[in-house]
Amino acid sequence: MSALNECENCPVHNLANLKKLGINMSEYDFVVALAGNPNTGKSTVFNNLTGLRQHTGNWPGKTVTRAEGGFEFNDKKFKIVDLPGTYSLLSTSTDEEVARDFILFGQPDVTVIIVDATRLERNLNLVLQVLEITDRAVVCLNLMDEAKRNNIEIDDRILSRELGVPVVPASARQKDGMNELLKYIHDVANGNYICKPHRITAKNKEMSKAVNRLSAEIAKEYPNLPNARWVAMRLLEGDQKIIDAIKSGDLGNITRRELTEGTEDYKMSV
Amino acid sequence: MVDPVNALMVFGFIVIGLTALFITQKKIVNNIRRTQNDKMKMHVEDALKHIYDCEYKNMGCTLHSIAGNLSISSDKAAKVIAKLESLKLIMNDPDKIKLTDEGRKYALQVIRIHRIWETYLADETSKDELEWHDDAELMEHTISSEEADRLAASIGNPLRDPHGDPIPSETGDIPELEGQQLNTLDEGDTARIVHLEDEPAAVYKNLVSQGLHVGMDITVNKRDKEEVLFESEGVSRSIPPVYAANVTVVKFEASIKPESYKKLSNLKIGEKGKVIGISKACRGQQRRRLMDLGIVPGTVVSAEMVSSGGDPVAYLIRGATIALRKSQSEKIYIEERLSEVSN
Amino acid sequence: MSENKNKILTTANNLRWKVADDFHDSLMESLYLDASKIAGLAISKTSEKERFNLDKKIDRLVTNRITGIPIMFLLLTLVFWLTIVGSNYPSAMLASFFLDTVHPWLKEGAFTIGLPLWLTGISVDGAYLASAWVVSVMLPPMAIFFPLFTLLEDFGYLPRVAFNMDNIFRRVGAHGKQALTMSMGFGCNAAGIVATRIIDSPRERLIAIITNNFSLCNGRWPTQILIATIFIGSAVPAHLAGLVSAGAVVFVAVLGIFFSLAVSWGLSKTILKGEASAFSLELPPYRPPRILQTLYTSLIDRTIFVLWRAIIFAVPAGIVIWLVSNVTINDVSLAKYFIDFSNPFGLLLGLNGVILLAYIIAIPANEIVIPTILMLTVMVTGIVHVGEGAGVMFELESTAATGDLLYAGGWTLLTGINLMIFSLLHNPCSTTIYTIYKETGSIKWSAISTIIPIVMGLVLCFIITQIYRIIIM
Repeated sequence: MSALNECENCPVHNLANLKKLGINMSEYDFVVALAGNPNTGKSTVFNNLTGLRQHTGNWPGKTVTRAEGGFEFNDKKFKIVDLPGTYSLLSTSTDEEVARDFILFGQPDVTVIIVDATRLERNLNLVLQVLEITDRAVVCLNLMDEAKRNNIEIDDRILSRELGVPVVPASARQKDGMNELLKYIHDVANGNYICKPHRITAKNKEMSKAVNRLSAEIAKEYPNLPNARWVAMRLLEGDQKIIDAIKSGDLGNITRRELTEGTEDYKMSV
Repeated sequence: MVDPVNALMVFGFIVIGLTALFITQKKIVNNIRRTQNDKMKMHVEDALKHIYDCEYKNMGCTLHSIAGNLSISSDKAAKVIAKLESLKLIMNDPDKIKLTDEGRKYALQVIRIHRIWETYLADETSKDELEWHDDAELMEHTISSEEADRLAASIGNPLRDPHGDPIPSETGDIPELEGQQLNTLDEGDTARIVHLEDEPAAVYKNLVSQGLHVGMDITVNKRDKEEVLFESEGVSRSIPPVYAANVTVVKFEASIKPESYKKLSNLKIGEKGKVIGISKACRGQQRRRLMDLGIVPGTVVSAEMVSSGGDPVAYLIRGATIALRKSQSEKIYIEERLSEVSN
Repeated sequence: MSENKNKILTTANNLRWKVADDFHDSLMESLYLDASKIAGLAISKTSEKERFNLDKKIDRLVTNRITGIPIMFLLLTLVFWLTIVGSNYPSAMLASFFLDTVHPWLKEGAFTIGLPLWLTGISVDGAYLASAWVVSVMLPPMAIFFPLFTLLEDFGYLPRVAFNMDNIFRRVGAHGKQALTMSMGFGCNAAGIVATRIIDSPRERLIAIITNNFSLCNGRWPTQILIATIFIGSAVPAHLAGLVSAGAVVFVAVLGIFFSLAVSWGLSKTILKGEASAFSLELPPYRPPRILQTLYTSLIDRTIFVLWRAIIFAVPAGIVIWLVSNVTINDVSLAKYFIDFSNPFGLLLGLNGVILLAYIIAIPANEIVIPTILMLTVMVTGIVHVGEGAGVMFELESTAATGDLLYAGGWTLLTGINLMIFSLLHNPCSTTIYTIYKETGSIKWSAISTIIPIVMGLVLCFIITQIYRIIIM
């Protein structure tokens, strides 16, 4: 039942320069990761962008393994990776490990975080965690139609200002907001939009002292690491993957991306 | 045709036989697996642990204490000591039993496996706390240190076991013992439980049945020869001073009384409360799950509805309706009811 | 490793001893503190009262102590009733098309192009017939049951069922959502097992997977009804026949629920003690169901998905069924050899060799057990003028004729009772076993799920038989 390339059948997209590539991705310019809580319409967004039809029912945790697909927008090819839906990225469960390791070690060019507008507060918990790892993110404020029905109004400009990343209101089921989402994915990937992500303010003094001290040491050893604070926090939680990455030197491969044209060629050859 | 009565009888015998086999299976398998050599290894490792424990607590260690701790005869204990000496795990000193560096390293390795396994059981499985210790006693001789390292990594490299004992690092580093015994606290003192001794089992069982756990904050109300009376998590508890000696606590510098505790499970439908914290008895995945759901200090929770069966109860937590079982809501502490919601 | 890297790890370790006890707690607290601050700034208007008013009214009705459970039974009964009634006609239509029209046509075609007889047997009588049978019996009930179920799910009612039932399931160490996967299992066990994905706690999910087979699935209802009508109905006065045989079928289904709970309890106390467990259940707001989307996804996700797996297994099974009946050694078919060999054992269990063989070779789907039994009975008894020949499954138009054939095959009331029990308690069909393997990724759990029910079935049949014989004699 795998619909490889159903572009002929799928509804005509109003954005002429979007080309859905299904899973026919051999080479690509950018990698986009899709993160979000379970049941926020992550798969719907994925299907909208790629033209694929991922059907595994309306169950949480339905994306058991990473699903991949692709699309082309403004002559750039994007590979999109659907991460497992999780409430958090901090626990030892397999789902959360997959998601967190991909965002950290996979170094996606853009991480799109799908957020349920009717439950903004609890969804922001995951957003803030992702923003600790990466500074290239777009928040997709999904289920806006439902929020409207429930008399919830969200000012996406304030949200964007507070989070320091683009926020796109959307109703993925109605395919609303997909154009803006594509535009921001493109802009963040190209470096036209530079994010200044919100970083957590530690409530506990001892905790913030410990994190600061450790991250200072990490930053000294890895001056190019974009997320020393996150690495420090993971070390303090005893994350073996990070310990191993330090021991093996893999952590040194995570670097801040230079926002020049040249990097794209580099990406392609990887 | 087979006579049905005979058939049933034969069947009955088979069932009895299989049950008997199943019950004794552990013993048989152990006996088959454990050659004399393995038994010696077990004794050696247990003796090392005991000697290490004596040194850690600054207590003398004798042939008799080894025999007692391992439940073996003195003759056997003498053999074990001879073996330890021949392996150069203890000093060759007839007056005092003392570990060599090699012996200490070995002992710490065994202790490390034991404590990792206990933590694993406490955090990731539904085994009862009274089973942790015995299970770990078996596993410490069975799994390799590499396996233990992998297990530790998979549960986030824990630092302490569920009884509050520090887990030696891969290189055998272990921090100093801290705190004081509960029976040395004065009336009015406020402290946090940092360790519960799990041996002897009978005492530990009593402490567990009193609801004590590591991480619990207590205030001593009364202390005399008969009992230590203290309050914790909103409940008044009393234990004999002998038992209290098996509880290690760290005193709070400022004598602040722990906040008044009320359990979330006591909240009536329509009432609201503010979360103070989750009991430390709730560990591992269970604890992380509750926090992922938004149950952190400061969260306002209101009880929404009871299910047809009476348990679980649904609560409104940060914009979502979430059902919690009584066993969970009992472990969540809240502050006074803020206001009554109409209807 | 460089000195600096070492230093980082050492610093981390030392710091951990100071902060690790509360680190995760503090981090979560800080995250939520920031989250609620930001959300407070960004949400400009909200009226929670209004939002929850209708929801609350519905919830008060469906989770009420008095009305909650009856409403649930009413709705689920309605779903099952619609499924059974609604699938009768399309099933008959598909059967008459695939089995009575296409099958003879294919045979004729094979004869015309001069296909060797054995090849026609394997492909047309074996592979085609088995898969056609599976499609015509399985497709209509699933195409009705799953969309209805999905509608209830989409609306948001099913989590409330889990909420209400959790009390019972908690006592046996399981999750309230198992009530849902169990209900789903009444439609199809393979689908029920896929549905256990909603249970996010590993131990409870395994319990739900292993015990799903105790839900009497769609494929087994017809067997139960047929056998109850023939054997139980005829054992009581005629005017009670209908009521008693219906009662017997319901009794078997309830027995299945009982076993499901009992086995859950046993598992959680023994082999699954060491598995992780963490309960959580969210009650989402009610949503107006999206009918078209639901129809589409439930057809694709569940119906076609399960059906496709079933067909894949039915084809080789059809071939095997044909082969064992037609490959002969010294003029005796393999099937006959096996039946003669296993008959004493079957009789000891109050069954017979034919039933045992049928359950072995019809493992892909419970739907083809009865046709296989009929075919084998004709073959063994040597009755003429009935059936379609060796290796060709068939069903008879009238229940009475089926009964006559089975009585001729030496069946008694005891055989009937035991077949009903065995139909409830035997290994899951191969589609289900494969699904269990896919979902758990473990041979161990697949094996356990297969072995537990079959051992229970054999033991129970054996005990019933001996007691029955002691009473009768």
